[in-house]
Amino acid sequence: MLTSLHVEGKSLLHRIPVKPKLLALMVFGLALYFVDQPLVLTATLVATGLLYLSTGVGLSEGLRRLRPVLFTIAFLGAINLLLLSPEETLVTTLRLVAILFLAAAVTASTTIADFMAAVTDLARPLERLGLMKAADLGLALGLVLRFVPEIAQRHEALKEAHAARGIPVKLSRMLGPLIISTLKDADRIAEAIDARGIRGQ
Amino acid sequence: MTTRDLVLAALFTAIIIVLGFLPPVPIPLLPVPITAQSMGVMLAGCIIGAKRGALAYALLVVLVAVGLPVLSGGRGGLNVLMGPTGGYIFGWIIGAFVTGFLAENLVREGQSATKQMAGFFIANVVGGIGVVYLCGMPWLSAVAGTPFPAVLTGSLAFIPGDLVKAAIATLAARAVIVGYPLLPARA
Repeated sequence: MLTSLHVEGKSLLHRIPVKPKLLALMVFGLALYFVDQPLVLTATLVATGLLYLSTGVGLSEGLRRLRPVLFTIAFLGAINLLLLSPEETLVTTLRLVAILFLAAAVTASTTIADFMAAVTDLARPLERLGLMKAADLGLALGLVLRFVPEIAQRHEALKEAHAARGIPVKLSRMLGPLIISTLKDADRIAEAIDARGIRGQ
Repeated sequence: MTTRDLVLAALFTAIIIVLGFLPPVPIPLLPVPITAQSMGVMLAGCIIGAKRGALAYALLVVLVAVGLPVLSGGRGGLNVLMGPTGGYIFGWIIGAFVTGFLAENLVREGQSATKQMAGFFIANVVGGIGVVYLCGMPWLSAVAGTPFPAVLTGSLAFIPGDLVKAAIATLAARAVIVGYPLLPARA
């Protein structure tokens, strides 16, 4: 149901640690806004596209993953064409697609575990500010992934319950029961976590 | 933050993800079908309040960033966050907070049904629509280069659908505050 977008592999990108990759992506994303040469941008786009393919994602799967965002970019490009000069439109579109490929490449070449470690590290400053504990982040994300299949199942059960009673299944009618029945578990789960001293309090 | 707050936020994030699996519902007379997931900002704010609602969305954004396809239509990964619509996704966190803040202050247990519904609806429109667009539109305009007035006009096409969402979220929030109040009592 929730399969990670990570692609197994041993490419160069796979071997670079997460934080340099994320930093490079940020710097690249910002730096590209200072480039407005269509030729340079085309070359960049080809380079990031090849980098994305080098993760071993495959052409059809690679495009399938990006389809919704590519569609948005194409739509905005069509609007820009009406409002701006063709050259400006070309530059912004090339730039967006180039960044898109690099971002997708970083996502495809990094495991969730590596990402989580980086996210927890990045949350440390928040911990020092007293906003939250960095370790809580891992606990919370684990809870989310644990409960997605269960809530999906609960939604199925509610749908069947409606159908069995001849009530047409409507979103507005399902939301209340789905949310109440899910959140009612919160006390029990919180007690179980505290009883085991998982948060170390 | 208590363990219970953390669990409530995490459970809500899971609900938002499940809502993304449901097929979009076409609404008569409206051009864009409604995805159940896009109601999440309003629901989170109105049901678990400002702080926990914002936390639920922060968790969702982290899941998107680490490369899980948790958004409707199986979208996920850094490319979604850095793309033209990334501003809306970050805006959800602030939107959930503002929705929750308004709902906490406008809606009380023991008010009449009409008053509660009106409070939720106002919170949904301001936080769930206003704030989200306020974050999303400048980002879109900056990233895609589309002039801001054009983005503003284009966004108007989504407003009728958003108002329908605000109404559905209002009904759901009212059902929850009657059945299992979480918003004010033990905040």
